[in-house]
Amino acid sequence: MKNTLKVQRAIKDLTQEDLAKLLGVSRQTINSIEKNRYVPSTVLALKLSKVFEIPVNAIFELQDEDL
Amino acid sequence: MRDICEWERNKLQRWGKFQLPNAYKKIGWAIIIGAFLLMIGKKFVEEPSWVKPVLRNIMLLGFLMVSISKEKIEDELMASLRATSYRLALIIGVLYALVQPYVTYAIESLLDPGNAELDNGYFQVLLYILLVQILFFNALKRNS
Repeated sequence: MKNTLKVQRAIKDLTQEDLAKLLGVSRQTINSIEKNRYVPSTVLALKLSKVFEIPVNAIFELQDEDL
Repeated sequence: MRDICEWERNKLQRWGKFQLPNAYKKIGWAIIIGAFLLMIGKKFVEEPSWVKPVLRNIMLLGFLMVSISKEKIEDELMASLRATSYRLALIIGVLYALVQPYVTYAIESLLDPGNAELDNGYFQVLLYILLVQILFFNALKRNS
């Protein structure tokens, strides 16, 4: 699964630390998601969607190996 | 019946989430170091037979406290890494418990053929499982 988290963060002018504080997670978690090392839970994905004011599908996208 | 299932589900979910606050990690390490120093110190003095098992149990308690203490920010990534580390620790711990007595027996048989024993105490196995869990959890955190 790939994601556009870094791009969305740049659009909103948020650092990883800022976003982590908004979501109540660690900066390491945001970094791991951005690097595709960790797939967040549905709850966290929906929280990201709420912060960026876009649908979850606009942040996360399935790749061939996920299907 | 449904009420019992619901009660069981709620209890299991609550117990499954049990963790100690982050401050207990330092207390755990202090207990481990204290027990370790006392175990070394007791070699130089005459002590009753119950001291060694009690110190071992105190040390295990310290490792358990470190193992189940929360991180400063305990979020879903930490929960995921923790679950992986417990899974690995359990598998490696069981394999260790199965293999280690034979390795010890083989070595003791070579060094002291008359007195070799096929033994594996609970202390070694539990210590190994807890150590592996703590080491794997820290390694996973570093690489996540």
